[in-house]
Amino acid sequence: MIANSIPIGPFHPLLEEAEYFELKVDGETVVDIDMEIGWMHRGHEFISEMKTFTQSIYLVERICGICSTSHPIACVHAIEDIDNIEIPLRARYIRTLVGELERIHSHLLWLGLAGHFIGYDTLWMWVWKYREPVLQMFEIISGNRNHYGMMRVGGVAKDVDPASIPDLAKIFDMLGKKMAMLAGAVKDDPVLRSRLKGVGVLSYDDAVAYCATGPTSRASGVRGDVRKDESTDAYGLVEFDEIVLLNGDVYDKLVLRVLEVIESIKICRQCLEKLKEIKGPILNDVKEISPGEGIGRYEAPRGEVFHYIRSDGSNRPIRHKVRAPSFVNIPTYTASCKGIPVADALITLASVDPCYCCTERSLKVVNKENDPCLIDLLKISREKTERIRREINGSK
Amino acid sequence: MDKAEKFFKAMEGKISSRINKKGRFYFNVKNEDLREIVDYLFKTMGCRLSTATGMEMYHSLEILYHFSDDDTGTYFCPRVIIKDKEHPKVKSIVPIVKGAEWIERELFDFWGIEFEDHPRMERLMALHHPQNLKEPMRFRRDS
Repeated sequence: MIANSIPIGPFHPLLEEAEYFELKVDGETVVDIDMEIGWMHRGHEFISEMKTFTQSIYLVERICGICSTSHPIACVHAIEDIDNIEIPLRARYIRTLVGELERIHSHLLWLGLAGHFIGYDTLWMWVWKYREPVLQMFEIISGNRNHYGMMRVGGVAKDVDPASIPDLAKIFDMLGKKMAMLAGAVKDDPVLRSRLKGVGVLSYDDAVAYCATGPTSRASGVRGDVRKDESTDAYGLVEFDEIVLLNGDVYDKLVLRVLEVIESIKICRQCLEKLKEIKGPILNDVKEISPGEGIGRYEAPRGEVFHYIRSDGSNRPIRHKVRAPSFVNIPTYTASCKGIPVADALITLASVDPCYCCTERSLKVVNKENDPCLIDLLKISREKTERIRREINGSK
Repeated sequence: MDKAEKFFKAMEGKISSRINKKGRFYFNVKNEDLREIVDYLFKTMGCRLSTATGMEMYHSLEILYHFSDDDTGTYFCPRVIIKDKEHPKVKSIVPIVKGAEWIERELFDFWGIEFEDHPRMERLMALHHPQNLKEPMRFRRDS
């Protein structure tokens, strides 16, 4: 019998973005979940159709602060797809380098938040410490820590300064060692394993049925990575592994992201080596876009970013469709949240790395008599970790 | 025979205005054939539904579905053209692809297209809009 519902969101001073979830709970168990989006509809598609192609790239860069280069890459892919525009080899490596740096900083951001949500503040501070050099690398390459303005139709806007390559390589050396250490720590930690193993499982069948993408589906054993499938930019020219794990729980999603960071560092190192050798232009001159339609996609940190652009031969798109990965990943909560304890709801909701932060920090429980009282999901989640830690360490 | 050729052979007579591009196939289908085509793409070929794009044309509305064959990086895009702009209706593909639920609700929200047999045919983005919107968000608002 459904006794209570727990609404989460949509607005609170602590929320960076607005989302609304309603957990239906029976005692301590979540029996159903309802989701509502649209609290921040910003009309990017409509605005883009009033801009020129070049202006659209700047616009879509502002859809998301975390994957701010995934949208421009998908957008330029869509425009280039209309006319099968080729880009210079050096530009291909620069696009891949910037895209992978973004994956590293986004995954590190998520790992830190996940650590915080389950009461591992050391992990949070440790991981975010190593996210900082990644942002510094962005500054060296593009001049900006976020919103890099690197993508153009036909190539990239800015070249990587050859003099900066040794400095970048040094930072990657340091990051590589730290990430290998992090991967060992995550795999060996008995508390982390006990806390996250078997939590919020998304089965293979459900991941396929909901058309989930990115780490959300790959942690459930579903193969699919745009970098491998399409091999655009330099992805067909560098060596890396597509990480696929089988259990679909939060633990696998965490391990998968750590392993993906290590793969991304591997890709970035290869790009830097090639950028030392390859000289030449970084941008082909594209005068006009023919009438037609094009599909562009990119493997963002959260999954496939999809852009569809239709052109009538003028200097602006007549239709620009954007689909971010969270749009298809968030509905998987319907499958992964059912049957879990309330204490695991926070980390399960966070496990797909949706485009919102801190949503779970404030919530209101409405009981049968509609008597509202405030409880804290974050507190419940961290208490469960502490309980497991004490059990494992043998202290009370 | 590769997957794409097999698909077009199996669906012969149900597909028109086919455009082949590098790794992309755009083609028109009728509303009554949509589910059969989607069933073949999703279940037989194992394609994933990326999304669906709605568009308003001069005399019609259109929906372009984007199915990705992740093994080959190929896109299959069936296009359904709806002539009745006053009461646009299309068969829902949610009974076949569960992941289409939000995608179809968004199309309903933006373009007013109603999907028959959808389990929850209501607005997605503007369900509790403060202005209690009566009209679709983009239909006839582009000019």
